[in-house]
Amino acid sequence: MHGRPRMAPNPEDAAASAAKSQKLRSLQSQFLSFHHSRTYTKEALEISAKLLEINPENYTAWNYRKLAVEHCVKESESDPSSVKSIFDKELKVVESALRQNFKSYGAWHHRKWVLSKGHSSIDEELRLLDKLQKQDSRNFHAWNYRRFVAALMNRSIEDELKYTENLIENNFSNYSAWHNRSILLSELVKKKDQGSSTQDVLSEEYNFVRDALFTDPDDQSAWFYHLWLLQQTIQSKAPLLVSSWPANGADLRVSGNGCLGGASGLFSRLSSDLRRFPLVLFFNQNVEGISSLTVTVEASFITSKDLTWKSLSPKTSRFGRVWVAYLDISSVDLDYLNPQKVVVRLGHCPGIMSSSGLPLSKPFRLEYTIAAKPIETKSSGRHENEIFQWKEDDFHNSEGQLEESIPRLLYTRAVEDNDEAAASRWHIDTMTEEINHVRVLLASSDCKIGKLMLARLLMARDDMLSPYANKMAHSEEVLELYRDLIRLDPPHSHYYKDQSSLVLMQQLVSSRDSLLKHCFCYEGIKSSSIDGPVCLRLNNLSLSRVGSFEKLLWVHILDLSDNELHSIQGIEALQLLSCLNLRSNKLTSFSALEPLRSLKCLRALNISYNEIGSHPIDTCRYLVTSPLSHSAEISWNRDEDLPDGVDVENYWEAFLVFKDLDLVQLDIAGNPVADERFQSFLVKITPELTWLDGQKLH
Amino acid sequence: MESSSSSTVTQREQLMVEQRVFQIYRLLAEMPRSSQSFMLEVQRDSHIEYLTNGLRGLSPSFCVLDANRPWLCYWILHSLALLEGSIDDELENNAIDFLCRCQDPSGGYAGGPGQMPHLATTYAAVNSLISLGGHRALSSIHRDSIYAFLRQMKQPNGGFRMHDGGEVDVRACYTAISVASILNILDDRLVEYVGDYILSCQTHEGGIAGEPGSEAHGGYTYCGFATMILINEVDCLNVAALMDWVVFRQGVECGFQGRINKLVDGCYSFWQGGVCALLQRSYPIINGLDSSESEEDSDAGSLSSATSDVCEGEHAVEGTLPQADAETCQHTWEGFVNTLAPVNLNDIGDKFLERNAKMGPPFNSVALQQYILLCSQLQEGGFRDKPGKARDFYHTCYCLSGLSACQYSWSEDLDFPPAPQAVLGPYSNLLEPIHPLYNVVLRRYHEAREFFASA
Repeated sequence: MHGRPRMAPNPEDAAASAAKSQKLRSLQSQFLSFHHSRTYTKEALEISAKLLEINPENYTAWNYRKLAVEHCVKESESDPSSVKSIFDKELKVVESALRQNFKSYGAWHHRKWVLSKGHSSIDEELRLLDKLQKQDSRNFHAWNYRRFVAALMNRSIEDELKYTENLIENNFSNYSAWHNRSILLSELVKKKDQGSSTQDVLSEEYNFVRDALFTDPDDQSAWFYHLWLLQQTIQSKAPLLVSSWPANGADLRVSGNGCLGGASGLFSRLSSDLRRFPLVLFFNQNVEGISSLTVTVEASFITSKDLTWKSLSPKTSRFGRVWVAYLDISSVDLDYLNPQKVVVRLGHCPGIMSSSGLPLSKPFRLEYTIAAKPIETKSSGRHENEIFQWKEDDFHNSEGQLEESIPRLLYTRAVEDNDEAAASRWHIDTMTEEINHVRVLLASSDCKIGKLMLARLLMARDDMLSPYANKMAHSEEVLELYRDLIRLDPPHSHYYKDQSSLVLMQQLVSSRDSLLKHCFCYEGIKSSSIDGPVCLRLNNLSLSRVGSFEKLLWVHILDLSDNELHSIQGIEALQLLSCLNLRSNKLTSFSALEPLRSLKCLRALNISYNEIGSHPIDTCRYLVTSPLSHSAEISWNRDEDLPDGVDVENYWEAFLVFKDLDLVQLDIAGNPVADERFQSFLVKITPELTWLDGQKLH
Repeated sequence: MESSSSSTVTQREQLMVEQRVFQIYRLLAEMPRSSQSFMLEVQRDSHIEYLTNGLRGLSPSFCVLDANRPWLCYWILHSLALLEGSIDDELENNAIDFLCRCQDPSGGYAGGPGQMPHLATTYAAVNSLISLGGHRALSSIHRDSIYAFLRQMKQPNGGFRMHDGGEVDVRACYTAISVASILNILDDRLVEYVGDYILSCQTHEGGIAGEPGSEAHGGYTYCGFATMILINEVDCLNVAALMDWVVFRQGVECGFQGRINKLVDGCYSFWQGGVCALLQRSYPIINGLDSSESEEDSDAGSLSSATSDVCEGEHAVEGTLPQADAETCQHTWEGFVNTLAPVNLNDIGDKFLERNAKMGPPFNSVALQQYILLCSQLQEGGFRDKPGKARDFYHTCYCLSGLSACQYSWSEDLDFPPAPQAVLGPYSNLLEPIHPLYNVVLRRYHEAREFFASA
């Protein structure tokens, strides 16, 4: 299929080619008659050899020769030298066929077959390969064959690495050679086991690829290899628990009806009699195996077995970064004076693994208490008329009050842990060295890939230095690099914009002080006893994506209005979220709201003034390649009864999002989709809805 | 690093191609609008003439393809179908008779009469006959013996052998699965472990290689990805990485390259462009199979829920989803219900079409059309790899297939003609839409589907 037909270059050659064709046809018919009569005489073999020399694609002839070899070997079984000469003849036939067509599947396959019989010398093979690979250094048949031969002759990985080195020195753009190096190096690392010798190998490799990068920073081959190398360096990191809710050491105060304070108390219907609340585990990478077997929960009122763990990853995969289980406290008699202790342990027994198969770096233990609130306010039926409005006047930044609300322990340590660094000295040094080199490179060239690589390296190193604290030592520099890239490389500006939004988010949550600047008390709903709930306001920051959710698990009210969000992926980790403002963003479809489906507490949602419904297809989501979700889950239980007259066909994306939400309040005005028909659809599928676009429903 | 000259061979070659291509684009830009339109026109009549002549007397220089003659038939007949060119009865009958003579009594089609049956030529022959259409062509395909042949080629590791004693690779998997699927003979025994084999060929780059250890390649990525969709295991692949790999294979020349740092080539308009078309429609497949999820979601006190997350993926793969309740399905809509219905392997190709594209093309489809029309197209008929190369039927077939994929890349539903702005050049450039999983013209696909469903 991929073998191109080779054509006579000029029509003038037509006569010659016609003669050749005539010859081929006669060979072909002679050959077929031998094939069908199973004639393996010397003459017959000669015919097939001639045929293959002209037309190596004739796979039937290759097969005929295999049968012939088997036949002849049987005849001369006693004599090893004649067996060898039979196979040597085959190698010659293949060689002349390859000279005719270097890309013939049949010829390469026949050679593999001959060699695997073990009667021929392998030494010749590398010389032949050298010759052929000089002609076309990217021929993948030859590379496949090279790997086959190297394995067959037990050639050392070092020797093969040396070969790729020579090819790269000859032409550093040869990505096939780089690729083979990645295969060889993976094997070498596997062999060397963990530890310092692996690190030596990788360090040396960084030096090697650097030469190529400095020779021509704009050539893509070496950068792709560098990226692979970087992945090898970072990937070996074992999974860590980076944060949790409740945080270790937290003292939860639950109001009489089961509410967790914060904004949840705003809506009477939230609390009804649910009395369940989440236990969220947030890891530094995707892990599998979170279950009642691997996570033990000790409390007087619950046993581990009662818990069902669920990954919040949008994919139907067994891996996930964020895992949640719901604790049912409905039967617990909570008391103000006697807090209930809950201890969570994980990593004590095996089973939790990263996608690369590494177990949890160490065991983790979390402890927190649950008690009733000291003062119980009986809030009467007034909730019915309460509406959460995002009015500027309702937010106040009074630090004293806020101090109390942000989990104090957020910036100490999320989990109990000795002060051991997550990455070894070597990892950090390697990254630092690479950073310095790329900086040198950039001093003399305005290279796009170099800038992107520097931004990635800086982020990766900051992450290595402090996986818990998120200390962003270089965020300003990284943001500057992305600004440059947006200017230098407009076609991928969406990607850079997303990346810099994520960096900005990391910067915002990197310390308690910077986070406090964005926390406000909400006083729109005056409650007699409780202080206004805390709202995190990240509005008007030009964010195109949001991240750093591991630091925000405590958030009840989140304001993301007036940004440029086209995706809210990751927000599903905020299991306590009850009020969310996404007004004036760039969401173009309901499928972008997919993550909201996991938010069981969400009651007030503002998605007004977005672009939902303006594009028939969700386009911009995929045009830029970014590591954001290329997928979202859609699930629908067919047995679910639909209310009569629901226009699911036209609004099925919306249906899939809203059917799982218990919204009390929704703002959707200012979207192309929001017409009267859609409003009546919404009212039908969300029976709890009380406020739609600020209007009370009846 | 040695650098006697400042650039490598690869870079010099790349630069030469760029210069040549940009020269053509400059020419276009400097032209008056009226002649621009002419330059961008599909030279339908010339192409049809070139193709028909090719079919009539396969010129002597094609002798090297003596082991690949069903391929020539497919490249030509599919190209003609895309262009809506007709061929006369005599030629059609000759083609059918020739392919019949390639069909092996024990199953499968050979590269020529008297040769051994081969998977790739079986794919080419079956697709040729489907591209011809009509009772005579379709009924000439012996499905039972093809099934037996496919089973013989099946390997314990899940892959397929190209022919008896031949090589095992991703191409063999695709041709086997595609043929079985379109002929309505795909079953669990053919599918077993194919997914694992393909998975072992996805590289760290994101694309798929021909065999384990090799580098990612456009042709194999198409074959591997289409196979995974046809066997309903596409969610096992790292689709995000695949997407990232394929979108960066479109270069400044506007066409696609087949591998990292290789030259642009018109044929990848289909191999890579086809992967993009598949990505646009596989979104619901990747995500739609998980219905066990809602059990937990709808149940507030789900402590008793027995479904563990760990097995969800496997449920979907094995097709053990709960049976659809016919009555509930009645008041839903076809496309969506299909994503939830129990999986019938032989329906996947059909259901795939009912899934509207859920996103725009993840590549610049107008730019690719520009490359195909200006750099690959020859005014005297036929298409080529790149300027400076000669035309051939292989490139004609895959440039036209890629062009069709581009023209419909903004259409949610392939049954409706695309918007004018999706088609570069005059609207008369519009080709027939293809089925992106099999690369046969959609109308012919439907005809075959109907024929083999009842046969």
